[in-house]
Amino acid sequence: MQVMVLLQQVINGLSLGAVYALIAVGYALVFNVLKFSNFAHGGVLGISAYAGYIVANQLHWPLIPVILVGILTGAVVAVLVELIAFRWIRLQKGQLVYFFVTSVTMLMALEQVLIIRFGASFESFPYTLLKVKVIHLGELTVSITYLLSLVLTIIAFSVLLYILKKTKIGIAIRAASNDLVATSLMGINVDQIIVATFIVSGLLGGLSGVLYGISASLSPQIGQIVIKGFIASVLGGLGSLKGVAIAAVALGVFEVFLVATIGSGLTPVVIFLLMVIFLLVRPQGFAGVSFTDKA
Amino acid sequence: MSFILTISLSIAAYSIAVLGTFMLTGMNGLFSLGQAAFMGLGAYVSAIMVVNYNLPFALAVLIAILVAMGLAVLVGFATLRIRQDFFALATFGFGQAVTGLMTEMVNVTGGAMGFSNIPRLTTPTLAFTSLAVAIFFVWGFRKSHFGKDSLAIRSNELAAKVEGIDVFKHKLTVFVLSAAFAAYAGVLMAFHTRYVEPAMYGWIASVTWIIIVFFGGRDSLTGTVLGSIILLAAPEALRFTTAWRTLIYCVLILVIINLRPRGLFGTWELSLRPILNLFKPKKHQEVQ
Repeated sequence: MQVMVLLQQVINGLSLGAVYALIAVGYALVFNVLKFSNFAHGGVLGISAYAGYIVANQLHWPLIPVILVGILTGAVVAVLVELIAFRWIRLQKGQLVYFFVTSVTMLMALEQVLIIRFGASFESFPYTLLKVKVIHLGELTVSITYLLSLVLTIIAFSVLLYILKKTKIGIAIRAASNDLVATSLMGINVDQIIVATFIVSGLLGGLSGVLYGISASLSPQIGQIVIKGFIASVLGGLGSLKGVAIAAVALGVFEVFLVATIGSGLTPVVIFLLMVIFLLVRPQGFAGVSFTDKA
Repeated sequence: MSFILTISLSIAAYSIAVLGTFMLTGMNGLFSLGQAAFMGLGAYVSAIMVVNYNLPFALAVLIAILVAMGLAVLVGFATLRIRQDFFALATFGFGQAVTGLMTEMVNVTGGAMGFSNIPRLTTPTLAFTSLAVAIFFVWGFRKSHFGKDSLAIRSNELAAKVEGIDVFKHKLTVFVLSAAFAAYAGVLMAFHTRYVEPAMYGWIASVTWIIIVFFGGRDSLTGTVLGSIILLAAPEALRFTTAWRTLIYCVLILVIINLRPRGLFGTWELSLRPILNLFKPKKHQEVQ
């Protein structure tokens, strides 16, 4: 029985970790190209989650169109954020710290937009969105939303891997991550690549927003979950998407375990201590890619 | 106490915390997402000392500041040697841990319900004198050799190291100082509003202070002080609902940072020199 409880927690942790991984990779993509912490990613995620919520709740759309709406909204909002908050500073060749400041301001602004439209209360996706609630596998009970998160994350990462490895635009994004100036010297239109990066990051952000909204609940503060992406990308070793994804899943599993064993109040304390120990023991992160340039 | 005075006291207290962030983030380029947690520590420790243990106010303040400084030494010692983003992450984790503990230790802190019945000991004189002393301190800090070392580290850490600056020790000192500022601001706030709760000290508060520093201009002390007065007063002056005024405030910041990346005041400083120059005897031009 004890083993089953453990296994149950592992499944819960993995699905939470999967959503964290989506957030973290979307966040890390922009970091890799522009080298700043894009907290506005949280705002993108929040707006997409609420866009999904509107079509599910008011138009009664079924699950898959709801998720698609969330994903597309993510891409659109991410491009808008780039235009409003980052484009002008980049053209003026502003320092990296200014990007950070505008990105957190953007996060706060988008949060306020949600509060103005929906109020500060908690919402949840309609109960009818999913026909089946749980699956029983022997003694295990797996919530269908958790399974959905896991499966969709795997699909999303496969597509992302294909785009980054095989398509022209993906190779250009990887080149830009390596060296933006050299990429532009090779005759690649860097502005387009940056917009493409924001689109890909926004697609992932939209998906993670809707998934988090479905499996947990919605509140305008949902965007602050971007901090999990930040944690995972620092722990994972900035610069490596694989390391970031692994760190995010580990973070999710740890969180679920700790909340189940010592309660939610002490969890942040233990996470903090583990984080400091990890950073001291392995400063290069999970993936071992060392990165020194950072604002 | 009149409305204006109440607001001014809060602004004075928060400005002290912002001045701490000015030294840490503006001058040294270190991003701490846990500054608000130090403010919370200052508020809680001093309030508990006075209310539960009947300690004199001054002693409680001293203990609160020392606790914050001690924890800053521990956090800084573990993380300032490695990369800057680790420091941001570690301070964030520290902030979460502190607010988590405040919520968890219901017996001592009152948990999420907050801690109330704090006597009102922050007088206008105390708050405004403190702010003036803090401004004077930071002004001296910027003029000093130590402050110039900070700017050197910010612009090029390797070059600063080569020049013989002990970068680690320097950063640690500044971090501990800024934690003391935040803790003292927390004390002033706790004994002004007479109520504290863990939710006031999350990472978003720390980020707000960083935004204020950049809004006013990280190279201008005048800009930081005026920026914090403007931005902290703005939510009160813009008489809309809270959400609308925060949105307007965000848009204002976006516009300023986009149009004037160095902040509203750039490198401009308020100075007495133009006034003093009026009294100087004019140099007579040489007549050929």
